[in-house]
Amino acid sequence: MIRRTFFTALALLALLIQPTSADETCMSPYMAKIVGQEDYVYIWTLGLEGVGDGEDKLVTVDVNPESDAYGTVVHSLSMGGRNEAHHSGLTDDRRFLWASGLDTSKIFIFDIHSDPAAPKLHRTIDDFVDKTGGIVGPHTNYALPGRMLITGLSNNRDHGGRTGMAEYTNGGDFITSVWMPTDDNLQGAVKSGNFADGYGYDARALPRRNVLVTSSFTGWNNYMMNLGKMMGDAEAMKRFGNTVVIWDLHARTPKKVLDVPGAPLEIRCAWGSRSNYCFTTTALTSKVWLIYEDDDGEWQAKAVADIGDASKIPLPVDISISADDNQLWVNTWNDGKVRLFDISDPFAPEQIMEEQIGEQVNMVSQSWDGERVYFTSSLLANWDKTSAAEGNDLQYFKLYQWDGKSLTPQFNLDFIALGLGAPHQMRFGAHALYGGEQAQSPSGLASPPAH
Amino acid sequence: MVLAPGYSPLSFTPPSSGSYSLPTMGSAADGTVLDSDGKVRQLHDFLGSKPTLLSFIFTSCDDVNGCPLATYVMRSVQDKLLANPTTAESVRLVSFSFDPIFDTPDVIDAYGAQFRTGNFDWQFLTTSGADTLDPILRAYDQWVIRDFNAKGEYLGTMSHILRVFLIDKDRQIRNIYSTSFLHADTVANDIQTLLLEQNPAAQKTASDLAAKR
Repeated sequence: MIRRTFFTALALLALLIQPTSADETCMSPYMAKIVGQEDYVYIWTLGLEGVGDGEDKLVTVDVNPESDAYGTVVHSLSMGGRNEAHHSGLTDDRRFLWASGLDTSKIFIFDIHSDPAAPKLHRTIDDFVDKTGGIVGPHTNYALPGRMLITGLSNNRDHGGRTGMAEYTNGGDFITSVWMPTDDNLQGAVKSGNFADGYGYDARALPRRNVLVTSSFTGWNNYMMNLGKMMGDAEAMKRFGNTVVIWDLHARTPKKVLDVPGAPLEIRCAWGSRSNYCFTTTALTSKVWLIYEDDDGEWQAKAVADIGDASKIPLPVDISISADDNQLWVNTWNDGKVRLFDISDPFAPEQIMEEQIGEQVNMVSQSWDGERVYFTSSLLANWDKTSAAEGNDLQYFKLYQWDGKSLTPQFNLDFIALGLGAPHQMRFGAHALYGGEQAQSPSGLASPPAH
Repeated sequence: MVLAPGYSPLSFTPPSSGSYSLPTMGSAADGTVLDSDGKVRQLHDFLGSKPTLLSFIFTSCDDVNGCPLATYVMRSVQDKLLANPTTAESVRLVSFSFDPIFDTPDVIDAYGAQFRTGNFDWQFLTTSGADTLDPILRAYDQWVIRDFNAKGEYLGTMSHILRVFLIDKDRQIRNIYSTSFLHADTVANDIQTLLLEQNPAAQKTASDLAAKR
């Protein structure tokens, strides 16, 4: 049932020039944006043995306060197995949601435009490793004009951290792949410090500077290993990324390899027209890093803040930048907290707020207007905690209202009790993006089919 | 209102023509169109044999960062190509309207006359209606949301994702540009990259189109 039409308060901003406040700004700058109240959150969820059908699934939650189904699961689509469901991303026109598995390297392409309340599987890419020349673990699904950029985490030769990136058409056809620069093959990049490890993780573009920024995590051997076992393995702990790579976005060639030791993960770039910088955080060393263009036009990396007490391994994971570039939400998975940093001076972030969200916390997504903040809990199947202290939630999807000073809980979905699994990446959906029933044809001119 | 980057000088030095590759992104689809004389033609009549820049527009678009941006950039590309005798006839531009209601052949012809310089190969096309338009839009993944009032009456405005396609002489899509990265300098460099593919010997003699202003 279509509850909203395109002439309600929610309007489509098809072209992103002016940034607005939301996790929408944490996604690709090429993407269509939602303005106003989102209707749904699509949650890519890890299957857990003994929980419901035990399969990875795309869960749709109604998040529109005007809906009778507000705060409830309205749809769930299981994938027939477990793939190590991790991240998802929208195509630039938001018609399709790509969701990938780090273990099987499968990519599931969901049609979210035909009926935003009930996504359906459009296509499965099950030859990613072969097509890309051996890239394993598709991680970030990032929109470029008319195509998707997919970062890898590993490779099929040694299942270590050396990896690459691939591009696919929006329809799911392979275009090309490129490997991350390494010491023995820098591909023309300048190695600025001690590392050129060839590892990958996230990617973000700054089109007006012709820059693509990538980060580095670890390979299949580590991310599929039990966390406790891995942390007790000194050799395994050496195999984490220590680099951020600056790429020529147009040519897709690496230009410079920066030292960012301790596994830099999510990347979020500033939106100001003269703000030529991005943030990342390092999982192992618990720091905020600034990746910036200096006055000579050279890209540099600098540690600018500590996140909690590094000796306690809070493990920073997802981050979210505000549209005005003044605030940065930082989740720390291990202690289940969110921290808010004032980044109005990007070289000197200051923590201004801290809140316990659950036993563990991973992803954070803001609404378009910044008033709503969503959280999910799961990181990796073999790393996630399996029990929670009294009063803490273990695997959840939560919404908070943010008034600029404090977070107020709105609803809390227990994904274990609901038989769903471990929730991970969140993406927003809205009926108004697709014109309702009158957009059944590409031109919007043909009569919609009779119901 | 923040203007798209395509209206300003490029704020970075682009990679030089031929120094990078433009991988194939699939075949450019065919379809039935009307040219600005009102003749029924095939879209493939205007694709192939030389690199072609294809943009989807509607002439009544008033979003400065939408269709007007595409036409502005294409006119700038036309100017660059005309400034170099070796490229003046080596490239084609195609502006394709997805508004058959308003953009009749007469309208699209008058619109094109404002931008085409002399006999430059810049074609303006439209269609007779949804039956021929929809297959083309579907093939190029162009979806239009038209605005209607509560009575279901069309308001004359619409929204879409701006995409401009670079298609090579073999009708293969080689790049897609959207608002954030549609600029005459980078487009011209991509065109020159395709021309160098066709004629590698020209690399030492052809000047960089981006330098022509």
